[in-house]
Amino acid sequence: MNAVPISQTGHDVPHGGRRPARAIAPAVIYGTGWCAATQGVRRHLDRRGVPYHYVDIEKDPAAAARLRWMTGGSLSHPTVSVAGEVLVEPSLSEVDWALSRAGLI
Amino acid sequence: MEGKPYSRRLQDLEERFEQLEPLIPEGYEKEAISVLHGIVQELWRSLHSGGGAPSTDGPTLADIAELHRRAPPMEGEAHSTPLPVGARAPDITLQDGNGHRVSLHDFRGRPVILVFYPLDWSPSCSDQLSLYQAESGEFDKYAAQLLAVSVDSIYSHGAWAAVRGLSFPLLADFQPKGEVARRYQVWRPKEGFCERALYVVDKDGMIRYSYVSPKLDQVPDIYELYRVLDSLQAPVRGAPEVAGRK
Repeated sequence: MNAVPISQTGHDVPHGGRRPARAIAPAVIYGTGWCAATQGVRRHLDRRGVPYHYVDIEKDPAAAARLRWMTGGSLSHPTVSVAGEVLVEPSLSEVDWALSRAGLI
Repeated sequence: MEGKPYSRRLQDLEERFEQLEPLIPEGYEKEAISVLHGIVQELWRSLHSGGGAPSTDGPTLADIAELHRRAPPMEGEAHSTPLPVGARAPDITLQDGNGHRVSLHDFRGRPVILVFYPLDWSPSCSDQLSLYQAESGEFDKYAAQLLAVSVDSIYSHGAWAAVRGLSFPLLADFQPKGEVARRYQVWRPKEGFCERALYVVDKDGMIRYSYVSPKLDQVPDIYELYRVLDSLQAPVRGAPEVAGRK
C-alpha cells in the first residue's frame, strides 16, 4: 500500500485564475501538517473517497493570505472550502453536509 | 460531478471574490470587506448547523467533549531526544482506565504504536487521540495495537475515554509519576508531564520509529505513521482499500 494519498499533492489550489466554474470544484482543505484536526478532516475525506486539494498554509504564504481574505482575517485550521462554502474549524458532520449540498457525496 | 445549481452559483461568487483580493489596496476597507465576507459565511453555515437555542439543562456530554477548545493552550518547545531506532523498547506495565494492567510484551508479535501525550482533556491531545480512534479500522489492517500513555490517573483516563469514545488503552504513568516517560526519554520535569511523542515498536519489540513533536501543541503526521507501518509489513491480504490511501 502506498501511504501517500492521491489527494496529498497539495499546493495546486485553483485560485485567481479564470477557470470557468461550471462544475463543482474539488474541496480544498487549508491546514498544517501537525494539526490533528486537519489530519482528521483529510483522513475523513480519504475514507469517503472524496478528492480534495490539501494546502499547507505554513508552506504557501499566498494561500495563507487568500485564506485570511476569505475568513475575515482568520488563519484557523483546518478551514474547508466546498463549492463556495468556507467552513472554519468544521466538525466532520458539517463537512459532510457541505459535500452533500454540493453533490460531492 | 455535477453539483446543485445554487452550489455552482455560490462557487462562482466565491471564486470571483478570491480573484478580487489582489486588486484591492491594503487597508481598513479591504479588511472590512473580508470581515463582512466572513460574517456571511458564518451566517450561511449557521443556517445548516441546526443551531437552536442552547440547552438550559446544563452541559451535555458533547459540551464536555468540546471543553478542550476553550481550554488554556499547551505550548512549549520540545527538549528531549527520544530513544533511537534499533534500540529495544523498554517493557512497561501500567494500568489502563479500567484498572487492567497492560504490558508492552502482551502485544509481542504485533506492531505497537506507543503514543506519549501530555495530559487528558487538553487541547491538542483531545484532537490527537480522536484522530487515532477514527483510524482504528486502518490500524487493524496492520494488526497494530495503539497504546497511549500520560501521567493522568486511571479515573481521569476512564472518564476521558468515555466522553471522547476512545476504545484503545490509555495507560496511567501515574505512580511513580512519569517513570515510563523517563525510560523512553520523553519526560518534561519542569511541567510534570511528558513530551508529545510517538514510537512504533515492531513485532519483536524493537523500536522502528521514534519522534518527539518539536512543539507541544504539534501532533505527529498520521501519513508519516502509515509510511512506517507500511515499511514494517503489508496490510492483511484482502482487506478493503481505504480511499485515498492506495
